[in-house]
Amino acid sequence: MKKRFFAAALATVMAMSMAMGAATVSAESEKKTIKFFHRFPDEPYNSFIESKIAEYEEAHPDIDIVVESAQNDPYKEKLKVVVGGDDCPDIFFSWCGEFTERFIRENLILDLTPYLDADPEWKDSLMENQMVNYTLDNGMVYGIPFRLDCKLFFYNIDQFEEAGVEVPTTFDELLDVCQKLQDAGFTPIAYGNQEKWPSAHYIGTLNQMTVSDEVRAVDYVPTTGTFTDEGYQKALEYYQQLIPYFNENSNGIAADMARSNFCMGMGSMYYAEAIEIPYISDPTTGLNPDLHYGMFKFPEVEGPGNPNILTGVPEGFVVSSKTQYPDECVEFLKWFLGKEVGTEQAQTIGWFNASIGTTEGVEDQSLLDAYEVITSAEEMGPWFDNALYSTVCDTYLTATSDLTNGDLTPAEVMEKVQASALEAQTLAASAPEEE
Amino acid sequence: MKTRKSTPYLYMLPGCLMVLFFVYIPVIANCVYSFFRLSSYSADMKFVGFDNYVRFFTNDTFWIMIRNNVLYCVISLIVQVGFGTVIALLLESSVAGRFRNVFRNIYYIPALISLTAVGLMFTYVYEPNLGLLNSALKALGLSGWTQAWLGDSKLAIYCIIAMSQWQFTGYITLLMVVAFQNVPNDYIEAAAIDGAGPVRRAVSIILPLAKEQFLVCTIITVIGAFKLFTEVYSTTAGGPGNSSQVLGLFLYQNAFLHDDLGMAAATGVFIFVITMVLSIIQLRVSRSGEV
Repeated sequence: MKKRFFAAALATVMAMSMAMGAATVSAESEKKTIKFFHRFPDEPYNSFIESKIAEYEEAHPDIDIVVESAQNDPYKEKLKVVVGGDDCPDIFFSWCGEFTERFIRENLILDLTPYLDADPEWKDSLMENQMVNYTLDNGMVYGIPFRLDCKLFFYNIDQFEEAGVEVPTTFDELLDVCQKLQDAGFTPIAYGNQEKWPSAHYIGTLNQMTVSDEVRAVDYVPTTGTFTDEGYQKALEYYQQLIPYFNENSNGIAADMARSNFCMGMGSMYYAEAIEIPYISDPTTGLNPDLHYGMFKFPEVEGPGNPNILTGVPEGFVVSSKTQYPDECVEFLKWFLGKEVGTEQAQTIGWFNASIGTTEGVEDQSLLDAYEVITSAEEMGPWFDNALYSTVCDTYLTATSDLTNGDLTPAEVMEKVQASALEAQTLAASAPEEE
Repeated sequence: MKTRKSTPYLYMLPGCLMVLFFVYIPVIANCVYSFFRLSSYSADMKFVGFDNYVRFFTNDTFWIMIRNNVLYCVISLIVQVGFGTVIALLLESSVAGRFRNVFRNIYYIPALISLTAVGLMFTYVYEPNLGLLNSALKALGLSGWTQAWLGDSKLAIYCIIAMSQWQFTGYITLLMVVAFQNVPNDYIEAAAIDGAGPVRRAVSIILPLAKEQFLVCTIITVIGAFKLFTEVYSTTAGGPGNSSQVLGLFLYQNAFLHDDLGMAAATGVFIFVITMVLSIIQLRVSRSGEV
């Protein structure tokens, strides 16, 4: 009898707690919950994002933004898993190009074009040469940039002066500069290719010059890519000429370690992204105050390609097509990626967004220089590793890593890439999403 | 008290269901998936027959992976199980003296550190310019011995294997110590009275009585060798080139980097078959259950 009573009591407690749980859920659901997923868990970027979101929530009491974040590689993996399910974040960071386009093919991304058309003021406040990267060929805008970027050679002004060399504008001049720096006892180029993607930035930039735009456009599409143009091999040969001027053991050094080496003067040049400026020197925090450095574009290479393309597309946010609150999401992005927040963002964390005129109050001359280069660019080139089909990219970078170690020749690398591209053609054509 | 015939089965049911849902169904589902092409963000599946297996076995890296996994397995058996057992014997013998516990803890501590942390730590040890290893070699006047370590295609996998030996030898040692402590003292004393020396006692009395544990250790090591993942992922991610690629990492990269879940499933089936066959062989050879 006692047992019975105990069981009944337990059951009552359980039922009550369930009812209470349900009650709290319904109270919370009056607030509109927006899930926000980004890939900047590092400081100070994370704090900046959190503080802006808190500000927005205060101004909009009906909105509750739940933030989640993960580092670069884990982010890619997590996102791919959640994006197709019911648990997809409402707003999330996504790279432009193939990375997001495959989600668009599955109808997972909200079309932002009608929102931009409805608000011409917003549309006109965004940089056209950057927005084009988040626009499909058919005109659909699917994302708004959060940070602008481009690839530039950073160089140590003191070491250049000591070796008596000038900023190179052609590839031959670059080799000459490297030789003179080496003769003067410096390591010409700091380079860490342990993670393999740093080589993609060299190869991608060189390809833009050694291969014509039309050929690249065909090859970068997985179903048509063959990579048989001789320009690709030429690009690798140019890269090969730089290897003697890299620091030793570049395959054993991580990219951020190479950057540190450059900052410490153990490398006269470093091929870097503009977003790395705050990591290289920062007058506000006193990071590397003695480092005098400048920037220049990748020296020109003769070829059928287009030397005016600047490598480095922006990175931004997209909205899930499954979101319950599309209007609220777009409204938030309008503010979060707009001029007001953008100006503060440039001042505090050194990253520009795609709103026009966010340089007010920015004192770091390097940031302003990079901004000038990016905004005046004729066209931005894709990140090579994001532009390719993932297996082709893997083969390309793996073989380039072997080339860097001297285990393969440029011709052998291209042979492998061509084989992989052929396989990718059948893979991409038979992928279920393409049907 | 009378029990209904079905009662014991009812008690077993929850456990069986859990094993079924969390072990057997996923294994079977994995086998099924290996015949399809599918990606994680799309619900569609496409039947491709043995295509995933064909691509897996004809892959350039297939033999590299097999070589690396087998290398890891063989070296681990020799160092972790072989050497670890010897250390355990020494710890349990009079040689260790009163520092026995201190040594045991020192050997075991590396096994407590998370794999990722160890991987990260060793990338700094192996770093070519500023790393601990090359700096130490230079300080000893052995500059000629410095290497790119993880950056060298021929050395990378050995560097990773060496790191694992450092980490797990102590773990196996501890497992063996526990087994040796369970060997009844009477036997050892009887052998000593019969005139058996320390080596003789170890080989004829202690080791045979700890055979089961030894078997467990070899199986753990062999299976661990074919499931190898974190050590490689956190140091070289398979590089330089594909020189340190292993089966576990290949599976992961196909699933989460290339969205080729079918290929990943096929790799998983292969790893499953290998570890199962090796375990069966080991159990047969050692005729487990008999002393």
